[in-house]
Amino acid sequence: METGTKKPYQVISRKAFLDLMGRLMKEKRVMGPRGRPDQPGFHYFDWVDDPEALTMDYTTTTLPPKKAFFPPTETLLTFTLGNPPKVSESWLEDPFVLVGVHPCDLSAIEALDRAYAYPPPDRRWQHNRKRATIIGVDCLPDSYCFCESLGISQARRPCDLFLTPIRRGYFVEIYSPSGEQMLNQGECSEAGPRDFRDVLDWHQKKRGRFTTRLDANADELANILEMGDFSEIWEDIASRCYSCGSCNTTCPACFCFNMEDDFDWTLNSGVRRRTWDSCQLVDFAIVAGEHNFRGERRDRVRHRWHRKFLYLYRKFGRSYCTGCGRCSRACTADINIADETNRIISAFRKGTGNA
Amino acid sequence: MPEIKSAEQKPPYYPSYFPDLARIVRIKQEVMDAVIELEMAGGRPLGHMPGQFVQVSMFGYGEIPISVCSPPGRAERFKLCVRPVGRVSKALHEAAEGDWVGIRGPFGRGFPVEIMEGRDILLAAGGIGLAPLRSLVQYLRDHREAYGRIILVYGARNPSLILFKEDVDTWCRDPSMEMYVTVDEADESWTGRTGVLTGPIKEEIEISPVQTMAAVVGPPVMYRFVAAELLAKGMSKRKIYFSLERHFKCGIGKCGHCQLNGIYVCQDGPVFRYSDLVGLSEAVEAWAPE
Ligand SMILES: Cc1cc2nc3c(=O)[nH]c(=O)nc-3n(C[C@H](O)[C@H](O)[C@H](O)COP(=O)(O)OP(=O)(O)OC[C@H]3O[C@@H](n4cnc5c(N)ncnc54)[C@H](O)[C@@H]3O)c2cc1C
Ligand code: SF4
Ligand code: SF4
Ligand code: FES
Repeated sequence: METGTKKPYQVISRKAFLDLMGRLMKEKRVMGPRGRPDQPGFHYFDWVDDPEALTMDYTTTTLPPKKAFFPPTETLLTFTLGNPPKVSESWLEDPFVLVGVHPCDLSAIEALDRAYAYPPPDRRWQHNRKRATIIGVDCLPDSYCFCESLGISQARRPCDLFLTPIRRGYFVEIYSPSGEQMLNQGECSEAGPRDFRDVLDWHQKKRGRFTTRLDANADELANILEMGDFSEIWEDIASRCYSCGSCNTTCPACFCFNMEDDFDWTLNSGVRRRTWDSCQLVDFAIVAGEHNFRGERRDRVRHRWHRKFLYLYRKFGRSYCTGCGRCSRACTADINIADETNRIISAFRKGTGNA
Repeated sequence: MPEIKSAEQKPPYYPSYFPDLARIVRIKQEVMDAVIELEMAGGRPLGHMPGQFVQVSMFGYGEIPISVCSPPGRAERFKLCVRPVGRVSKALHEAAEGDWVGIRGPFGRGFPVEIMEGRDILLAAGGIGLAPLRSLVQYLRDHREAYGRIILVYGARNPSLILFKEDVDTWCRDPSMEMYVTVDEADESWTGRTGVLTGPIKEEIEISPVQTMAAVVGPPVMYRFVAAELLAKGMSKRKIYFSLERHFKCGIGKCGHCQLNGIYVCQDGPVFRYSDLVGLSEAVEAWAPE
């Protein structure tokens, strides 16, 4: 990495950071975490034009920040019928800053970078990713978080700057020239021994706070799912699950989608959109002639676990769960991904889940 | 807050979800289905191989996967055979000559025509499965000297539902092809075979199992019964090819709809070797009959 004028480790005070954000907000759009006005205590990622509205010490947002690159609803093209029809693709061009991203969500962006780069690449994801500068921030886990078990509690990539809260403000790690350029617009100083100590203390505090853990690592878990037969556990989860799909729509590492056309009121022109989709919905794998290839709820539950921890693990070399806990928090049936995964692991080890 | 800038452009690179335009040149009504002949804007050939599919857009209705039912290399134009079952396929079925559609593709892995060279080919089609197989049959016929026997077993529900009637008649008259057409329910006019298509495979057709490769397309339930007959004749699972259908949205391995265990039917298929499917719990087509 070229490191121009600054040393890679810097310290910026909270006030200087907010000033920097204010300056950036005049140049570019900034998306970051803020409190939900409708639900006190909950946070979401939104476009923010007032630095004071940013809440950097939030727990986990309801929806993941992947929506900055892959919105829940995205216009793929617009068309006007005719001879021939006029079809055009619209692309957003403005660069933006995504700020306040936790390690698990950085890791999920990396997961989607991989999946969407697999040939032929998803140009829309890649295009939107290039528009963004990302500022990560470290966090403390709540009772649902288990990113540490998947080895990503200290994930940094892909980000341009990464902040860890310390006494003097934030300890800043610089990960790219554009991150450094951005930081150069703010008032900061070189990190000293006391700041490094603060960072170590923070990491220790973070490690000590995890209450949820997986009983196997990602590699072992893939092998367990591959070798075992967990029909009874799938049945049991299915008996509680409503197939509402919230676990997928809140997941930062899920990337399935649907594509739909809509005419506007002229009935002569319209748009094609893509929207987030969920493999838990009953008609996800249905084809004409009433063949539903995953019509049984237990098969859809099984599919979700296999996709996250086995299929995509084998295909892309990493787990497609980051341990953010969003699906467990969102599930109305209280299905907890970590608890159920541990049940699978222990069934396998006890021999009851062996095929 | 700064303004949002957006650009309307044709991107300077291969666009992931942006279709090219194609014009409907001719429509021929088959019994239930419409055979639609298309020409890409600018007249360029589609460049497909037998067994591949395209994502067809009816703007305002949506986009669906349809197999190309004409062979590559005969003309710049290509054909799709569309059965009206829902929103998009009905709109496509009702389109008129001169209308425009969007085309993405060709996508997917087709039949292994090169590996098939020099071998006897047994093709089994059930119902609309004849559409994707028609591309292969015509390809084999266009390169007749490169292949051994061409045996086609085709099962339709009743005589009036026989698809591509003209082609089927032509092939039946062609001494270089071995044709076995059967219907589930005969009517007064029918003098041919009745019963499911495993009948002729079991009772009439003799093959050299080492020399033969098979291509099977039809409704999901058909595959395992056809495969069982072929295995009974001594064929290896590695020489039997299935073309599978799943729900497709993107056609390029992204949207997740077509996933079958760890594989993507749109990208790793739709044509698969039977031997590659047998271990997969979600490949219902491959399960042995109980
Ligand atoms: C590789 C492949 C090749 C095919 N080749 C042909 C062909 O040559 N001729 C032909 O007529 N049909 C073909 N099909 C089937 C065709 O794609 C479906 O009939 C069509 O997508 C139905 O969409 P619809 O909007 O008309 O129906 P809908 O109104 O969406 O619904 C009708 C039914 O079709 C199901 N369906 C919806 N979308 C899809 C989808 N994308 N894929 C599969 N099923 C879906 C629905 O769930 C519903 O059960 C092929 C499918 C695949 C996967
Ligand atoms: S959120 Fe819970 S109830 Fe809804 S589909 Fe997921 S597991 Fe089932
Ligand atoms: S599966 Fe659940 S815990 Fe894992 S990344 Fe997705 S939402 Fe987070
Ligand atoms: S159709 Fe989208 S992944 Fe296969």
